[in-house]
Amino acid sequence: MKFFIDNLPIIFPYDRIYPEQYAYMCDLKRTLDATGHCVLEMPSGTGKTVSLLSLIVSYQQFFPTRRKLVYCSRTVPEIEKALTELKRLMNYRVSCAETDEQREKEKNFMGLGLTSRKNLCIHPDVAKEKKGKVVDARCRDLTSSSVCEKGRANPGSVDLCDWHENLGKMDPGTLIPPGIWTLADVLQYGRDKGVCPYFAVRRMMPFVDIIIYSFHYLLDPKVAEQVSKEMSKDAIVVFDEAHNIDNVCIESLSIDLTRPMMDAAGRSVTKLSEKVEEIKTSDVAKLQDEYAKLVEGLQESIIDQNDTDGFMGNPLLPDDLLNEAIPGNIRKAEHFIAFLKRFVEYIKTRMRVLHVVAETPLSFLQHLKDITYIERRPLRFCAERLQSLIRTLDLHRLDEYASLQKVASFATLVATYEKGFLLILEPFETDNATVPNPVFHFTCLDPSLAIKPVFERFSSVVITSGTISPLDINAFLPLVITRGSDQVAISSRFEVRNDPAVVRNFGSILIEYSKIVPDGIVAFFPSYLYMESIVAAWNDMGILNEVWKHKLIFVETPDANETSIALENYRRACDNGRGAVLLSVARGKVSEGIDFDHNYGRAVIMFGVPYQYTESRILKARLEYLRDAYRIRESEFLGFDAMRNAAQCVGRVLRGKTDWGLMIFADKRFARADKRAKLPRWINQYITETASNLSTDMAITLSKLFMRTISQNPNENQTGISLWTVEDIEKAQSKQRELALNTERQQEDDDYGDGGISDNALMDFDLDV
Amino acid sequence: MPTTVCTAKASCKKLPGLLELTDTHLQWTQDGKKAPSIRVAYAEASSLFCSKEGAAQVRLKLSLVGDDAGHNFTFTSPVAVTEREKFKQELTSIISRNRRTSELLPRPHVPPVNATSSIPFSSAPSPATVNAKPPPGSTRPPISRATSVASDRRETPVITGGDPASEFRLRKKVLLSNPELGALHRDLVMSGQITEAEFWDGREHLILAQAASESQKKGKPGQLVDPRPEAVEGGEIRIRITPQLVHDIFDEYPIVAKAYSDNVPSKLSEEQFWKRYFQSKLFNAHRASIRSSAAQHVVKDDPIFDKYLEKDDDELEPRRQRDEHVEVFVDLAATMEDHEETGNEKDVTMRAGRQKAALPLIRKFNEHSERLLNSALGEIPPAKRRRLDPGEDVYSQIEIDDLHDPEASNGIILEMQGRERYFEGRMDSSPQAAKPKLDPSLVFQDARSNLESWGTRLTHLKIERKHGDAALGDMTQNVASRLDVRSKKNDIPDGLFRQMTTCQTAANEFLRQFWLAIYPPLGELQTAASATPAQRATKAAKMIGYISKTHEKVYALVKTAEQHGIDATRVENALKPVLHASDQAITFYHNKIPNK
Repeated sequence: MKFFIDNLPIIFPYDRIYPEQYAYMCDLKRTLDATGHCVLEMPSGTGKTVSLLSLIVSYQQFFPTRRKLVYCSRTVPEIEKALTELKRLMNYRVSCAETDEQREKEKNFMGLGLTSRKNLCIHPDVAKEKKGKVVDARCRDLTSSSVCEKGRANPGSVDLCDWHENLGKMDPGTLIPPGIWTLADVLQYGRDKGVCPYFAVRRMMPFVDIIIYSFHYLLDPKVAEQVSKEMSKDAIVVFDEAHNIDNVCIESLSIDLTRPMMDAAGRSVTKLSEKVEEIKTSDVAKLQDEYAKLVEGLQESIIDQNDTDGFMGNPLLPDDLLNEAIPGNIRKAEHFIAFLKRFVEYIKTRMRVLHVVAETPLSFLQHLKDITYIERRPLRFCAERLQSLIRTLDLHRLDEYASLQKVASFATLVATYEKGFLLILEPFETDNATVPNPVFHFTCLDPSLAIKPVFERFSSVVITSGTISPLDINAFLPLVITRGSDQVAISSRFEVRNDPAVVRNFGSILIEYSKIVPDGIVAFFPSYLYMESIVAAWNDMGILNEVWKHKLIFVETPDANETSIALENYRRACDNGRGAVLLSVARGKVSEGIDFDHNYGRAVIMFGVPYQYTESRILKARLEYLRDAYRIRESEFLGFDAMRNAAQCVGRVLRGKTDWGLMIFADKRFARADKRAKLPRWINQYITETASNLSTDMAITLSKLFMRTISQNPNENQTGISLWTVEDIEKAQSKQRELALNTERQQEDDDYGDGGISDNALMDFDLDV
Repeated sequence: MPTTVCTAKASCKKLPGLLELTDTHLQWTQDGKKAPSIRVAYAEASSLFCSKEGAAQVRLKLSLVGDDAGHNFTFTSPVAVTEREKFKQELTSIISRNRRTSELLPRPHVPPVNATSSIPFSSAPSPATVNAKPPPGSTRPPISRATSVASDRRETPVITGGDPASEFRLRKKVLLSNPELGALHRDLVMSGQITEAEFWDGREHLILAQAASESQKKGKPGQLVDPRPEAVEGGEIRIRITPQLVHDIFDEYPIVAKAYSDNVPSKLSEEQFWKRYFQSKLFNAHRASIRSSAAQHVVKDDPIFDKYLEKDDDELEPRRQRDEHVEVFVDLAATMEDHEETGNEKDVTMRAGRQKAALPLIRKFNEHSERLLNSALGEIPPAKRRRLDPGEDVYSQIEIDDLHDPEASNGIILEMQGRERYFEGRMDSSPQAAKPKLDPSLVFQDARSNLESWGTRLTHLKIERKHGDAALGDMTQNVASRLDVRSKKNDIPDGLFRQMTTCQTAANEFLRQFWLAIYPPLGELQTAASATPAQRATKAAKMIGYISKTHEKVYALVKTAEQHGIDATRVENALKPVLHASDQAITFYHNKIPNK
């Protein structure tokens, strides 16, 4: 359909539109017009992505400036979905185009997705590597400018990547023909043409209208520096599915060091010093050249670098980078190596402490200085200096130096940031562990730090996510189960969660629902620890044996690929026969980015409230910081955080208004008045007093009733009410215009501009007659 | 009131009551209550357990289909044991009947083999010994075929298209699983009033349904193969080994199949093999339990089986790496590798795989589910599967179906014969249909005069009370009579009640046959049963003969009622609808015949 918002013609790739989508697009347009940032929410399952893309593409195609869209999503499946959505939209736009000229314009619109080398590599050997880091390193060894130079000058002397070489033979700017390319499309294109998909995308980025990649590519300075540096300021930046964006922000500035890492870093330092000695005898000019450059403060800037050379970005935010020469005491290669050695030894010594230490970066630096005489300033340049040395030494297989790079990043971060960061040394994994397994956490407490540069750099940043809000068709039945059929209260509260009665009651909820619900049931647990122990307990209690009678059982495992295969099988089972149960974890791998709409999720069960583990020292530190810096109460944050995650989990089962299902919240805490207030409004709105405090058998009765009615109510035609046609949109628009006109007129009536008493005031005046 | 086969005083859940076995249900009524609180249809009973002879309490437990918990009854009367035996006898035959009808895949039952004792394991199972009494009557071949109407039907039709023998078996099953139908069959067909073919005429769907449910291939049972040992007195444990279990174990754990083929019979006898397997670490590793400590003391080192032990599959990465490509929309690994890991590690509760003992179990679940899925859907590599699946269009996963306009599809063009004629016809009639032209002013005047003095007319308006009162009266009466019926005790004696029921169902069946003969169903599946008009006429005549006897039968019943000292009008009232329907049929028949 085609309609107008103000003067902007919008092409929407469906015959109908939800009013929510229309409202969302209107809001989005206002943001773009005003060039500012905004947070937009939309009910889950009502087609947020398609609305967003539809409006922005219409906007881009209508105005001559052609602002670029940088669309960020959380997971690769979501990126691929957004690309597919965009591809569908553009096909629709092409088919709708009225003139040849317009059609040509639509066809020339370009959209690409970017992910790692690991996901895009088609080199037969390199692509087989399991770890992304290894793929990166091996790729670099085949494509870096120095290797290419050697290989081209003297063919056969070094291995080069044919796919990358072929890319070099093409004209820059036409590496990929215009159009929308999903990740799968780009891979296929690379295979067909014999070119490298990864670098094809990277090098086409300046020419595309829309680039879709993950949050990290913009928020994590190490990646953003290499990938997103050249984005122009007027680009529109969208963070979709952004309900957890604060976590990504914090992650991108936090770092962990462990014992094995320190050992590996130590070995790398030794290897580096050997290399330096070696090069001193073979090619001493190289080192001297580097030194001279460093003295002059002529560091190679990333822009001069070839995109194949970049390997480790600076961990600092752009504003915190120093434009100074590297300090004298680490300019010489051997001095820097000695410096690194000392630092690594210091951290190792600290890790031998057997009690927990929490300290600020300043106190850490003071102690470091007292013991090792390492100053803050050279430490700040640690990451940069290491980059330079690695480049000078022309090292191969950089993945072997990963730990050392991490230590250098740690050094740079700890020497740069004071406020909003904390160092925590945990010698033991858990409180009752006896074998030390120390971890040195450098943790960022303030999520606003990482996103600030993005806000400052781009004129329009849109943060958007789905909320669970009541849809006007109540096809979802939320129920709160607070006790089992035996009236024992159920809860995932730490003290009772392993109580056999609670475990059994949770189990009987699963059994009963697997009996009555068709197709798929998704169950979420508050943590992996709990899921794994409860699955074992259920098996011993014979509960799973009961479930096996009705459905297949699939469980999320630690391995991503293994879980993906289980997911695929789960879907197959939902498409055929009696369906299956999927057990997974809120905040886990599955809960983010995988949809369970329609038959893939006819019921979703939350076993317990997905609170974070409050004994976590990092969480405690973060809560304290939030309280001190932003006056957010701990309990308030924890409650909010648990509820947003619960809402996300159940929200994954919604798509479209005729989709239906059950949402079961199994924990007595969901029914408590103070917790109820924190629940999303829709629960409070839709859960009647009785439905918020159910026992299992009562809930089953209600669920059966609901399923019987929902199946008798084949989608009535909701056109005009919750589904709008173009006419409905126009009606709504004219109504709004009228309303606006009326208020305007009223204001005119009300105010004569003479400072007198207004009509309203006169009317309201309480005359005592 | 249904016939009671036997009754006894029995308590259930410590409440005293009366246990009754009627001809369709087992029911238990708490003392002082009118309605039975437990009512179990015959078909639901699945197994029966009794307390030992000479136990302090005489108990009986009945498990139901799909509910092993079932019901427990304790016989309380002084002659508890004899009463219990009576129930036991009756229920056993019911259950064995159920078993035979429900067991679609008759699996041989093997008497338990005591794994620790020296009873040899037998691979050839002894056949199931379900001690079942054949239900009375049903096994007798229908005798009716030879009687009166044998001439008008060639043979009992074979509906499912199979051979008559299997057809007969199907019919028998339908009758057994449906006691009421079985009773009717006994009354009418066995007694020779109507033929077998006539009886099934119009009930073909029952047989077809039965055939369909039988031909449906039963998949593998979903549960994990987890032979749980039963403890036997003397500290021994025993595990039942059935050929099915052996098959399942081999299927689930190929390593055991390998061990079997390596060692039996060269190194171990079959019996030794299983005996040692169930004591081995290998078996312990295969058990779907993490509480293996309980069985620890019986686990012994075993030089043969320990060779086959695999490392526990409890690493973060699975032992069996699978590098098949998953669909990108569910590809979680791609996200893990999308960017370098950043940030602090997750807290202890959120690190997957910390419960090492649970991991092999979880993997077993996923693999088991996958195996079941593949056994039902066929094992096709995922890539090929995706290509084969026609519904798997890239857009199908993201499209929102609601937003498509269902009416936007191109309609089906109506192809009409003689279109011109149709439109001409309409044109002809249109001038007639056109209304005479109206003069607006006239109409207006008319309306105005109509409205004049509406006020006074409104005051004259009176709503007759009579109708309202009548309606209310009707309703009250209705409620009263219903209350009346409910409050009245159903004191018609059993025998009479049964006769009434029989009379009613028989008359209904005759009526059904009659109308079927008069109006053969259209578009019905044309089986061999479809009769010629002549045959139908004979049949109708015969049925009318039966139907006209209904009055006599009812009269007889009324008389019996009087003899029993029961209000005859009640019986009459109860059977009035049947009489009415019979009269209807008779009048219809007599009116129709002269017409011909």
